[in-house]
Amino acid sequence: MLARHAEDLFWAGRYLERAEDTTRMLDVTYHGLLEGGSSDVEAAWRNLLEALQLAHPFYAKHEQVSPRAVAEFLVADVAQSSSIIAAIARARENGRNVREHLSTELWETLNSCFLELRARDLVAELAAQPHELYREIRTRCQAIAGAASETMARSDPWRFLSLGRLVERAEMTCRMLRVRASRRDARTNFHDFLLVLNSVSALEAYTRAHGAEIDPARVIAFLLLAPDFPRSVLYCVRGADELLAELEGGVPTVRPRRTLGRIRAELEYQDADELRAFGDRTVLDRAQSGIWEVAELVEESFFASGPTPQRHIFGSP
Amino acid sequence: MPRDRLPGYQRAAGFDEAVQDSLEVRSHYAAVFEELERLDGSELAARERLRDAIFRRLGITFAVYGDASGSERTWPMDLVPRILPAGEWSQIERGIAQRIRALNMFLDDLYVGERAALRDGVVPSWLVFSSEGFVREAVGLPAPHGARCVVAGIDLVRGADGVFRVLEDNLRTPSGISYVLQNRAALTRVLPRLSARHRIRPVHHYGSSLLAALQALAPRESTGGPRVVVLTPGIWNSAYFEHAFLAQQMGAELCEGRDLVVEDQVVYMRTTRGLERVDVIYRRVDDAFVDPALFRPDSVLGVPGLISALRAGNVAIANSLGCGVADDKAIYPFVPDLVRYYLGEDAILPNVQTYLLWDREQRDAALARLDQLVVKPVAASGGYGIVMGPQSTAEQLEICRKEILADPRGFIAQDLVQLSTHPTFVDGRLEPRHIDLRPFALTGTRTEVFPGGLTRVALRRGSYIVNSSQGGGSKDTWVLEETGAG
Repeated sequence: MLARHAEDLFWAGRYLERAEDTTRMLDVTYHGLLEGGSSDVEAAWRNLLEALQLAHPFYAKHEQVSPRAVAEFLVADVAQSSSIIAAIARARENGRNVREHLSTELWETLNSCFLELRARDLVAELAAQPHELYREIRTRCQAIAGAASETMARSDPWRFLSLGRLVERAEMTCRMLRVRASRRDARTNFHDFLLVLNSVSALEAYTRAHGAEIDPARVIAFLLLAPDFPRSVLYCVRGADELLAELEGGVPTVRPRRTLGRIRAELEYQDADELRAFGDRTVLDRAQSGIWEVAELVEESFFASGPTPQRHIFGSP
Repeated sequence: MPRDRLPGYQRAAGFDEAVQDSLEVRSHYAAVFEELERLDGSELAARERLRDAIFRRLGITFAVYGDASGSERTWPMDLVPRILPAGEWSQIERGIAQRIRALNMFLDDLYVGERAALRDGVVPSWLVFSSEGFVREAVGLPAPHGARCVVAGIDLVRGADGVFRVLEDNLRTPSGISYVLQNRAALTRVLPRLSARHRIRPVHHYGSSLLAALQALAPRESTGGPRVVVLTPGIWNSAYFEHAFLAQQMGAELCEGRDLVVEDQVVYMRTTRGLERVDVIYRRVDDAFVDPALFRPDSVLGVPGLISALRAGNVAIANSLGCGVADDKAIYPFVPDLVRYYLGEDAILPNVQTYLLWDREQRDAALARLDQLVVKPVAASGGYGIVMGPQSTAEQLEICRKEILADPRGFIAQDLVQLSTHPTFVDGRLEPRHIDLRPFALTGTRTEVFPGGLTRVALRRGSYIVNSSQGGGSKDTWVLEETGAG
């Protein structure tokens, strides 16, 4: 397929994943605070901005962290290129560029999502019923993913779209963990890690695997290593590797697959208890920088023959 | 029981497609109006909302140039279909196929033939060589099967006498076929009972017919079939939706100029596995932008070196370069003569009476009654630059007269055809609105005319301007099967 189209699909996948993950993180942060248990409200919102690597752009626009300001910044700020509305607009724009590669059902779902959100007063809804809005955005993103999954042939367009999703998701999980892991020394907080699990929709899966005890080290191990949970780093890395392996003949997959293989091997053979003993930052750091490297190698290997490399909004270390 | 009147419908002057002069509903429309009658006002409004939602969801919108908001408008399709009985259609079909055959022979004659039509005085040579649509660089470029104009859209109008006439030929990059298919799909969803009562000739095979016609042009045998791509100016072009739609229908890549590269006179596209060879380009980019190395160095829409690849016979392009000479409005009056010259037949579809303004006598005749005529620039399309005599002020006509005198080759004048009208929903009521018809013809190894075509509607009362860029709407257009009763 055209290099330009592959690139558009890869980034459409990243934008959509970004929008869905951001929504979930916002919802969990907001309601986690309402339910009580967290000592420092402002810190929770700061953590969120840092996890998304958006603290800097946020402070360029706002003097203080407030739930309202952060939510508006992350959801409705069209000038903020990582906001949910901007990410969905870009996903739709990319979808339009590659319209003929998308199934009609996928395009309709994506297009309706954009048109619907654009037509609404998101700021007012954030003030009135934030949960309803988050739930709806999340459901719409999942409907897009579902339409893609159930109506697209397993050929290269599907693979690039899915690759974008998995790379973005793995990175988001790493970011979430990093922000929490760096703060847990003094006051290891049950509540914070409950939030982490909820932010990636992992609480139920974790509880089934490990029971109701929220042990920070175990949470980190779970989100890095769980082979069967679709938002764990290992799961995403494996999925990405498999997608690359399936790309149609003669494609230069060697370099990104070498890096993926390295991360994969490290995670697959990692002993969870050892991870706890050694301190998890090193493994986590290596996984995260490996994923950055993979994203770059994907760009170099598949999109470089294309016309002009696009400038994208996130993904750089 | 078939109904004989449309309640409340004020028939306009001229030919009405659905209602006779006696105000009786034409028999092939009876069932449609019987069904539409069942819809009360709120139900009708609900169906119209559903229609808009379908088009919006599908992203079937078009950009309007010069619209400051840069926004996209939803495709306007009226809920009353236009119906062509089998007999009427068969004459149109034969007429268009005949016309396209003659025009393709004319183009081949001009670009790779001995220019017999010029030698024998059928068309004045100077008219051809002064045409903006004549592309010197295309002389000698081959076109397999003589299929120079692979996709054609011929605009027909129906006058007060009920006769279909050709208003203009569109032989360069005619658009609209995607709307034909989408109108059909939308109307069957919005008003399923309407179509269920008729046997309508299908149009959904257009994509596979187009692909077959294009593949027939491929200059080489290749395993897995020739590689066809669609070349679009890009996402901001007003017909981008159609380009993407056709690429999808054909399973072809939708390329922009920057996705293609010419090396050693071979065209390649830039893919995830590096460069891959391209055999046939269905281009929706104008002649002047196709190859910046040759025509417009400032253009980023085209592919540098494409002409050299064409000349080397390594790639085919549809439509061929230079088809515009045959749809130049100054050549148009000669088309019936070309039909007779090349095919030895009389033209089945007549032209509209046209004045050649470079001819002294005809010009004087036209200038004397400019207020009753329509004046058109010869090279424009999309309804731009047209002066409607009866609706112009004395000053406008004076400006028009001066422009004609300054450049008589640059304009034609035509009798104003009183376009036929068709019942159309306006604020929930049926009112007559003027319409035209653009059938599409595909030529590969043979010419195939698609049943129906795009019916465009002038949505303002009394207006004759049907172009979607200027506030026109559209109708699903049915051709009934021979045996299908209406």
